[in-house]
Amino acid sequence: MDGVSDLLEFREVSLRFGGVQALSHVSFIVANDELLAVIGPNGAGKTSIFNCLNGVYRPQQGSIRLEGTELIGRRPAAIAALGVARTFQNLALFTNLDVVDNLMLGRHHLMRTGFVSGALWWGRAKSEEVSHRRRCEEIIDLLELQPYRHARVGTLPYGIKKRIELARALCMDPKLLLLDEPVAGMNLEETEDTARYILEVRERLGISVILVEHDMRMVMDIADRVVVLDFGLVIATGAPAEVQSDPAVIAAYLGTPAEAVAGTGEHPAAAGGGAKAAAAASWWADR
Amino acid sequence: MPRLRNLHMTLRYQDDLRLFRSRYARAAVLALLVGGVLFPLSFKSEFWLSVLDYAGIAAIGAIGLNLLTGYTGQVSLGHAFFIGVGAYCAVFFGGHHHVNLLIWLGAAAVIGGLIGGLVGPFALRLRGSYLAIVSLGLVFLGLHVFRNWTQLTGGPGGTSVAPPLKLGPLDFTKLQIGNQVYSRNQSFFLLIWAIVGLTALVSKNIVRSRPGRAMQAIRDRDVAAEVVGVRLARYKIGAFVVSSALAAVAGALFGAYQQFVQPDNWSLFVSIQYIAIIIVGGIGSIYGSVLGALFVGAVPQLVDRYSKSIPFVAKTAVGSSGFHLSVFQLNQIIFGALIVLFLVLEPRGLAAVWQRLKTYLRAWPFSY
Repeated sequence: MDGVSDLLEFREVSLRFGGVQALSHVSFIVANDELLAVIGPNGAGKTSIFNCLNGVYRPQQGSIRLEGTELIGRRPAAIAALGVARTFQNLALFTNLDVVDNLMLGRHHLMRTGFVSGALWWGRAKSEEVSHRRRCEEIIDLLELQPYRHARVGTLPYGIKKRIELARALCMDPKLLLLDEPVAGMNLEETEDTARYILEVRERLGISVILVEHDMRMVMDIADRVVVLDFGLVIATGAPAEVQSDPAVIAAYLGTPAEAVAGTGEHPAAAGGGAKAAAAASWWADR
Repeated sequence: MPRLRNLHMTLRYQDDLRLFRSRYARAAVLALLVGGVLFPLSFKSEFWLSVLDYAGIAAIGAIGLNLLTGYTGQVSLGHAFFIGVGAYCAVFFGGHHHVNLLIWLGAAAVIGGLIGGLVGPFALRLRGSYLAIVSLGLVFLGLHVFRNWTQLTGGPGGTSVAPPLKLGPLDFTKLQIGNQVYSRNQSFFLLIWAIVGLTALVSKNIVRSRPGRAMQAIRDRDVAAEVVGVRLARYKIGAFVVSSALAAVAGALFGAYQQFVQPDNWSLFVSIQYIAIIIVGGIGSIYGSVLGALFVGAVPQLVDRYSKSIPFVAKTAVGSSGFHLSVFQLNQIIFGALIVLFLVLEPRGLAAVWQRLKTYLRAWPFSY
């Protein structure tokens, strides 16, 4: 892939918290319309990548370019305006607002009404509400959220909340969508629904997606390419089939034979004790 | 299409945005407006009129505090300071320079808003109880300034406030409509509650449009708000500006109505009183602020009036002797109790009680 068609270039990014090296020299690219999955054991630095991308963390080294524009050093709100949208691992919805207001907040960076025109509810303030509401309704239709429109988000079940968060991200009309564990805590049916929604979104809206996920079955099914992280280092990049047979990846998830014999619990996949990571590890073991 | 209009059905997005969506609601608003103008005419009790006047002033300040604390989630104990600033704006512009009613009220709003804008940036670094503590400092700073800036405030002894109250043909000290002359309390009732209505409308418009949604997003999840493109600095400071501008308007009206103010009018107790109003009325609700102001505003007046028949309360307004509480102490206890009771039993305040009542009546005689 040549540099021109790439949407995002993540080059040599390093992030430290005191003595902890969260990311070291991480590089990858995301092409237009690509679905890139980022996988790795717990604590590998997957979510840190997202936090660097939308400006919540500021990496010490490297460069992150979206269509040639440097993102490092920009505020999250500015990065949102450039076209990066995101969902969170542990839901970050505006729980006291209804679904429509949550989605309208996705439109925030595209709207212009300020305090004065809002207070007067005159001209643009009113027409903007209507025109942006129209776009929100399209997303509501796409993700089948019609029954919940005026429900307070805090009162809705978990699976619906996850979908609302995806809808809010889509309302931002992003170029790049970051999905942080979209199916965490979901059963098989909900997982399949979500995968279907993600594919439909890609198809209909032509958005590039970076997906962080522990559900290996889903990752291998829908990702175009996979980046594997371990301890902040990229240990493999490639098509799902290539990555699956990569010895370094298998070692990251299951430990090397020597480690397995020693029975060490030091590795995040084991030490973290997360059910998701354990499930991922068992998926690798079944290969 | 015309036949459909009688149904409760939203056909256009515009309709979904209406403030008063049903005909009944619109009729009720009209009735409230007409009633509001006629009411003081038929109502002669100076005591109750003054209770309603004070409650209206408190409602304006409470809407301001609710925008900041209820909608943006920035807890402020400094509201009393901004109310004081407004009162001294009335003293300076109205009392000393005799400018027009609209100008001294406007000047109070602008100066209150400016000072609020200076304090706002603290909210960018501090949150929750830390911000509350810093804003608490503001009250004591204010008290010090107000006690020592004697040319303006008259020092601890206080100063009289006599701003012009004429607006064109309308004189709000003795309003005349047709050949009907309103008393001072009646005229102030109309002035104050007209401003309450305007404040409520403007504030409601803010909270239902883009800036208000951003404020509520910050309250619910600030990191997520930033990630969807909300600039925290802009909306936190904006909320401080609007809130303190409204507080200053309330203060200016308070000064003009009471005709005399002293620095102790802007003590921490007043800030707590406003917190009580929005908690009792309903956090994050405009009409809740008004309900809360009516409820909480009436309490000290009632206690004051009926102190003679309440046991263990001293007959004098200040100072306690032995086992007896002063009226002031009793008020403090009542506010404390109200805050605790509402937080425990009805955290969404009177606004939620009203909402439940409406739902109940709509479904009546069925339970659901």
